[in-house]
Amino acid sequence: MTSDGAAPRVALPDPGAVALSALFWKVAPAIPIVGLFALWQILSASGAFNPYLMPEVPAVFRRVALELVNGEFLLNAGATLYRALAGFLIAAALAVTIGIAMARIRIVHWFFDPILSVGFPMPKVAFLPVFMLWFGAYDASKITLIAFASFFAIAVNTVAGTQGVDRHLVWSARSLGASERKILWTVILPAALPQILTGFQIALPLAMIVTIVTEMLMGGVGLGGAMIRAQRFADSIGVFSGIVQIGFTGFVVIFTMRWLRRRLLSWHEEAKR
Amino acid sequence: MATGAAIAVENVSHHYRPPKKRPVHALDQVSLEVGDREFVALLGPSGCGKSTLLYLIGGFMPIESGSIRVNGNLVTGPGPDRGVVFQHFALFPWKTVLGNVLYGLENIGVPREEARERAQKYIDMVHLTGFEDAYPNQLSGGMKQRAAIARTLAIDPDILLMDEPFGALDAQTRGLMQEELLSIWQRTRKTVLFVTHDVREAVYLAERVVMMTARPGRIMESVDTRFDEAGPGVMDRPEFVEKASYIWNRIKGEAIATVAARAS
Ligand SMILES: Nc1ncnc2c1ncn2[C@@H]1O[C@H](COP(=O)(O)OP(=O)(O)OP(=O)(O)O)[C@@H](O)[C@H]1O
Ligand SMILES: [Mg+2]
Repeated sequence: MTSDGAAPRVALPDPGAVALSALFWKVAPAIPIVGLFALWQILSASGAFNPYLMPEVPAVFRRVALELVNGEFLLNAGATLYRALAGFLIAAALAVTIGIAMARIRIVHWFFDPILSVGFPMPKVAFLPVFMLWFGAYDASKITLIAFASFFAIAVNTVAGTQGVDRHLVWSARSLGASERKILWTVILPAALPQILTGFQIALPLAMIVTIVTEMLMGGVGLGGAMIRAQRFADSIGVFSGIVQIGFTGFVVIFTMRWLRRRLLSWHEEAKR
Repeated sequence: MATGAAIAVENVSHHYRPPKKRPVHALDQVSLEVGDREFVALLGPSGCGKSTLLYLIGGFMPIESGSIRVNGNLVTGPGPDRGVVFQHFALFPWKTVLGNVLYGLENIGVPREEARERAQKYIDMVHLTGFEDAYPNQLSGGMKQRAAIARTLAIDPDILLMDEPFGALDAQTRGLMQEELLSIWQRTRKTVLFVTHDVREAVYLAERVVMMTARPGRIMESVDTRFDEAGPGVMDRPEFVEKASYIWNRIKGEAIATVAARAS
C-alpha cells in the first residue's frame, strides 16, 4: 500500500485474508455436522459396536447414493413433501384467515381464542386414530392431521401479528383514501407478515415431523414408511440411510423457508442484519 | 354554526381508556375554529393533547363528546379531504418512497402515468430525488419525514393536518420546507392546522397561533400572527420578536405546570 505521508493511514486488512475468512464462515456451519459423521464413523469402525446396530458411514452413504440414482429417494421424498406441504398449505390458508378475523372481529376472537389456548399445546398426533376413523387409512387422514398440527402455531402468530399492527399505519392508509378491503391486503397483511412467517417457520418443522410419524404408523410410500419397512426387513443400513434422507429433506425445506422469508421481508429491519 | 369555517371543533373532550389502566383525560371541552384557507398553528406543552385533537379531526377515533365539523359536515371517519402528516411519519415500511407516494394517488383514481408524474413532482419538491426506490428503513429520520409530507401533499387535500411535520429536520432543511409549505399554501390556499413545538416557526408560518394548556388540554389563547411583511426577514422585525416572546412566555408557564404535575 502506498500513501502520501501526510494523510493518516488506515490499516486495511489484507484482501486475501478477508476472502479466506469469508470462505471459512461460509463453510463453518457444516463443520459440526461433518464432525458428527466423523465421530459416528470412528465409533462404528472401532469395532466396539455390533455393525448391525451401528453400520459404517460409507455403507450408509452408498445406500443413499444408490437410492438417489434409482429414484427411490425422489419417490419417497416426493410423497413425504407432498403430504407435508399439502397439509401445511391448507393450515396456512385457514390459520391466516381465521387469525386475521380473530384480531379484527370480536365474536370470532371470542369463539376461537379458547380453542387455540387449549389446542396449541396439545399433542396433535393423538388425533390420528380419530382422523383414520373419519377419513380412512390413506392420504386424506394423514394430510388432515398434518394440517391440524400446523394450524395452531400459524393462527396464534397471525393473531399476535395482526393485533400488533401500528394503528397509525392503518389510519394513514384510511386518510389516503384506501378502502377497508385494500387496507387488509396492503397494510394489515404486510405489517403482520414478519410474525405470520414466524408462525410458518414454527409450523413447517411440525408438519414434517407429523408427516414422518404418520408415515411410520400407517406405512406406504414416503420417507417414514421406507424406514419402517427397512426396520421390518432388518435392514439396518436402510434405517440409517432413512435418517440421513429425512435430515437432508428437512434441511432443504427449512432452508427454503428461510430464503423465502428473506425475499419477502427485504424491506424489513431484520433484512439489513 | 358559523359558516365559512373549514374546521369547527365544539366542546370536544377525549379520554384514552387503556385496558386495565386508569383512563387518561387528554382533551377537555376544546372548541376551535379554523377558517376556510386559514393557516393555524397549534402550540402546547408535550402531552397536552395536540396529536389527539388532530386525530379526532382526522376522524380516526370516535368522538365521545362534543362535535367536529369539516366544511359543515359532521366528522364520522377519515377521508382524503383531510391530508394528515403523522408525528411519527407512518410510512409503509414495505413500500419504497415512490410506492408510498403513489399509494394515495392510486386510491383516489389518478391514472397511472399522471400519478407517476405527480409523485415525482412531490418527491423532487421535498428534495428526495434519487431516493425513489429506497425503503423507509434506509432513510434518515428527516428524510422519512419529508417522504411522509410528499405522500400527503401528493393527493392535494383541501385541509392539511400536520403533526410536527418538520420536527426531525435540521435547521437548513427546515427553512427550505417552511418556504415550500408557505408557497403551496399561497398558491393553492389550503386550510392548514399545524402542530409544532417551535414558537418562531408557529409565528412565522401561521396567521393565527392557538395555545393549549397542559393536560387535560384546553384552548388557552389564540393570537393573531399576521404581519405586513412576508418572507423570512420578518423574523427580525420587532413586532415579530415581541409576539414570539409573548407566546413563548405563555407556553413556558404551561410547560412548567406539566413538569410540576409530573414531579408531584
Ligand atoms: N393510545 C393512548 N393510550 C393512552 N393514553 C394516551 C394514548 N395516546 C396518548 N395518550 C395520552 O394522552 C395525552 C395526550 O397525548 P397527545 O399525543 O395528544 O399529546 P401531544 O400534545 O401530541 O404531545 P407531544 O407534543 O409530546 O406529541 C398524553 O398525556 C398521553 O399520555
Ligand atoms: Mg403529539
